[in-house]
Amino acid sequence: MRNAAAKTKNCALASIGTTMRTHPLLTAGLVLSIAGAVITGLLPPLVLEKAVNQLAAGGMFSFSLAVSYFGLLLLAGLLEALKQVLLTVFGQKITRGLRHDLCLKLTRLSADVASMQDAGAVSSRFVSDVDTVENLFDDGVISMIADLVQVVSIFVILFTRNRGLALLLLVVLPLIFWYTRHVQRETKKAQVANRRALASVTGLIPETIRNIRTIHNTGRESWMRLRYSASVGDSYAAIERTNFYDAIYSPIILITNAAVVGIVMLLAASGSPAVQSFFGMQVGTAVAVISYISQVFSPLESIGMEIQTIQSAMAGLTRINEFMGQEEKWDTVPGTGKRALKDTASPAVLLKDVTFGYKKEQPVLQHFSLTVRQGDTVTLTGRTGTGKSTVFRLLLGLYRPQEGSVSICGQNAAEIPDGEKRPLFGYVEQIFRLVPGTVLDQITLFDDRITREMAEQAARTAELDTVIRALPKGYDTPCTDSLFSQGQWQLLSIARAIAAEPRILLLDEITANLDAGTEETVLRAIRNAASGRTVLSISHRISASLGGQQIALAPEADDFPCDS
Amino acid sequence: MKKSSSKGEECIHCLAHPEIITSYFTAQWPILAIITVTGLVYNIGLLAGPYYEGQMAQCLLDISRKDAAFSDMLCLVLTYLLVILLVQGSRFVKRFYVRRFANNTARSMKEILYGNLVHHSKQELDAEGSGNLITKAVSDADDCAEGMRKFTTELFDTGVALISYTVFLLSYDWRLALLCLLFPPVSYVLAERMKTIVQRTGAAAKKSSGRLSQATLDRVSGAMTYRVYGCEEARNKDYEDRLADYEKTGVLANVFVSAMPPIYQVISMVSVLFILWFGGRNVTGTGWTAWNVAAFTAFLSSYTKLAVKSSHAAKLFNAVQKAQVSWRRILPFLKAVPDDPEIKSAAPGTLSVQDLGVTLPGGRVLFSGLSITAAPGDAIGVTGPVACGKSSLGRAFLFESPCSGTISWNGQDLCGLSPEERNGIVGYLGHDPELFDGTIEDNVLLGRKEDVMPYLKAVCLDKEVAAMEEGIHTRIGPSGNRLSGGQQKRLALARTLALHRPLYVLDDPFSALDRDTERKVFANIRALCPDSTLLYLSHRLELFPQMKQVLFMKDGTVTVSTHEALLQTSSDYAQLVALSGKGGQDNA
Repeated sequence: MRNAAAKTKNCALASIGTTMRTHPLLTAGLVLSIAGAVITGLLPPLVLEKAVNQLAAGGMFSFSLAVSYFGLLLLAGLLEALKQVLLTVFGQKITRGLRHDLCLKLTRLSADVASMQDAGAVSSRFVSDVDTVENLFDDGVISMIADLVQVVSIFVILFTRNRGLALLLLVVLPLIFWYTRHVQRETKKAQVANRRALASVTGLIPETIRNIRTIHNTGRESWMRLRYSASVGDSYAAIERTNFYDAIYSPIILITNAAVVGIVMLLAASGSPAVQSFFGMQVGTAVAVISYISQVFSPLESIGMEIQTIQSAMAGLTRINEFMGQEEKWDTVPGTGKRALKDTASPAVLLKDVTFGYKKEQPVLQHFSLTVRQGDTVTLTGRTGTGKSTVFRLLLGLYRPQEGSVSICGQNAAEIPDGEKRPLFGYVEQIFRLVPGTVLDQITLFDDRITREMAEQAARTAELDTVIRALPKGYDTPCTDSLFSQGQWQLLSIARAIAAEPRILLLDEITANLDAGTEETVLRAIRNAASGRTVLSISHRISASLGGQQIALAPEADDFPCDS
Repeated sequence: MKKSSSKGEECIHCLAHPEIITSYFTAQWPILAIITVTGLVYNIGLLAGPYYEGQMAQCLLDISRKDAAFSDMLCLVLTYLLVILLVQGSRFVKRFYVRRFANNTARSMKEILYGNLVHHSKQELDAEGSGNLITKAVSDADDCAEGMRKFTTELFDTGVALISYTVFLLSYDWRLALLCLLFPPVSYVLAERMKTIVQRTGAAAKKSSGRLSQATLDRVSGAMTYRVYGCEEARNKDYEDRLADYEKTGVLANVFVSAMPPIYQVISMVSVLFILWFGGRNVTGTGWTAWNVAAFTAFLSSYTKLAVKSSHAAKLFNAVQKAQVSWRRILPFLKAVPDDPEIKSAAPGTLSVQDLGVTLPGGRVLFSGLSITAAPGDAIGVTGPVACGKSSLGRAFLFESPCSGTISWNGQDLCGLSPEERNGIVGYLGHDPELFDGTIEDNVLLGRKEDVMPYLKAVCLDKEVAAMEEGIHTRIGPSGNRLSGGQQKRLALARTLALHRPLYVLDDPFSALDRDTERKVFANIRALCPDSTLLYLSHRLELFPQMKQVLFMKDGTVTVSTHEALLQTSSDYAQLVALSGKGGQDNA
């Protein structure tokens, strides 16, 4: 946990750095193609200048000059294409690296953090936030650097060709930049307003569908339509504002462009020698200069846009870093699980004087002890909140007790690596968790160690084999929500738990409402599954009939610490 | 009910024939006229830039040769600036109005779609998920309008612009122009060829991204299951495969989109070789036409602009195609919007139900043979065990699904009446309070102007509302989620009472209330509308002694009797009464 905290600072950037280091050729190629594209993009006007000057002098330029002009265009185009390709590849590598690291982090998260996560929110870290970072490479930082290089290079060239123009641009460009930012801010404001309006527009539709009976019965269709119109109207007004800025932005830039061209031409044409020293130029230079002026305006426009991308990417990076900075689980000791499997003498489950609470100041278990010998069946009973599920979580090694010890077949439960748990315990969850895949995948959970035969055997024990074989593709039928009935999902859950032939079976309360017939089947399946195993179950009507010892948690209300 | 705020006014943005795409264009002809004029000015005026730039370069040359003076340049520059101002001004107007056109279109489409939605019946919305389809259609409206915008833009910016550039080039030197114009079509054909690849790779990438999102959601939400089964490593490997797939398809899709435009442009720019060579000979006087430097630079720069434009053509083409897809999707829902009904409350009357029965879609008979008569002001209690068909009996009054027998009002079969007339008689409140995301007042009056307090008082909600920060103007959140369950129920009841219907069907309106409040509210209802007939469906029987008649439903039969008589004759009923009493104790 310590080192995790230490490397929180900029995990996202570190991940990007790693990707760059592992692909040095790609990174180098990207830098070179950007530089190449910028430089070759600057050269054609210089060739054109030479050609026009020769024409102005009354002579014809050589054919090779024309060829070299096109050659430069060709080269610039190819380099630009190459740059785009490399940028795409690079961006994809970066996002893959980030997602890879996020996924590893998810594996390392402490159970406490992992179980508190809102799946939707975390998924959006993986998906949308990483996407904003990808944009950073597509048209964010890298393009911005390329654009800046281009602007600076044009300045250098202009400085040698027409110093006055360079100075003039130094005055105009900051204004243009400010204008761009202003337009962007206003646009963004309008977009936020629009998103808000749109949320209420989209919200009205499910509301209408849900309340359609009331709308018809009260005859207030017209009122609903007025409400909808009002929301759509808000969105309309916000879009109008965006449209205004959208429409005005580029014309203003081009008018400024023309004004600069006009001023330079006037000054170049002025007779004054003082002005001439700054603005004087040959006609070929004038043609080149005009083309440079428009070239300097377009990267400036892009820089404005890129700042926006960079801002949202920074927000995305911050959120990714937040995720990466969360508490990690402790290190486990490889081999512990195997040692536990070999141990047939120690108690299957041993909780010694355990005190534990999810929050330190609110202990759920206090000085709790429990021994379950191998082969025993024990049922935990007690009201909600007495810590039955907590005992399971401690056994599964998801949490460590604050005091006392929890051991499984003689080994510290918290030290058993996740990968070694399945042969040790099978856990029948309260609610079956459907995973994307076939029926077979539901049982194996994509675990290579579980063969098809093992899975089928598990299904037979759970009395689900015949049902599965009756499916269109048997075990290979893609699993959907509607494939099984409530009781059958419970059976599948049992099959999943016992597929690895675990030593210990943990049965959680079944919450589903089962009819009497189904309940009988589930009970039979549990009995089959339990035979020859150590069974620890949380009380419910089904497992009560398993027999064995019953242990009540917090038998007297006074002992229950949460109440105080 | 007061006259609804004048009909038709709400649908200023609706069209008579929303299913015909051109009607969106004809409805906005003034805007399109502005777009046409400014679009022509801008696109033809685009040539002014290269033309004047050429002229200015030539003028500079002339000045250096002493063939022209500073005043010539001043004149030229001023004209140049004025023309650019006009051209760019037109461009602004064109851009703005094209966008407004799209905005108007999207708004009309959305309002038409909504207008249709709100008139869909409950069954239509439940069946075949058409509610979902309409929801999707609304989001398609934006895509569709965007496509129409791009089409309009393309008409001018690509169509008109390319034509005027071509004419401009031809007028300078037709032979050279024809030679040059050989190449843009090559790049266009190539772009057209690439389109299928772009679409294919794009679709593949989209699919892969969908798979990745799903895998992500599964990996995250199943994290604990995978952990306790020790399967996280295996799932990480699987996730890595998804990532690899996403990377591969993503690269393929983006490479074609981003790397091809520079190539298209280079292909179009092959013509530059001819322009430089033959154009140069034109200037030196050995070519097809006699040119000066101005003509040379104008030709070159306008050709460059043409090349850039034609490299964008493919992109616009794709957008239009996408719009066609959206249009086809929303077309089934774009129908003329029906008039909103105007409901007038009927006068109190006699309810008579003859041999009523409800059969479920599966063929199971829920109940049958129900006959009752009720005079104005009668209260009838309906009860029975869970799933006995109480709610279905209530819904029979809404005629949502077919049922046998007749329900008549003052001797008139409700089946023969229009939905408006029926709704003028029956005021219905179901299980779900069906509240709206608005204020307390909105939810009671649904937009009518009236005093809301009598209704809030009747349902004993007035004090609670007064204690809220904004009183009756307090917003209650989506589905009223800022209110407690009991408040939601009472608010819905207030809304129903505000309808002043002669017959109320109330399905379990007091389920979340304590017994005292229940009694008080019931008394208030009787006082507020003493002449209304009341059909009170409930499993709580506290109020049943006050009912004129009681319908007891069990196993498909309905016993019509009174509370006292049923207590004597039906042990099931007596048991229910006992249970209800116990339940009430628990609640208290």
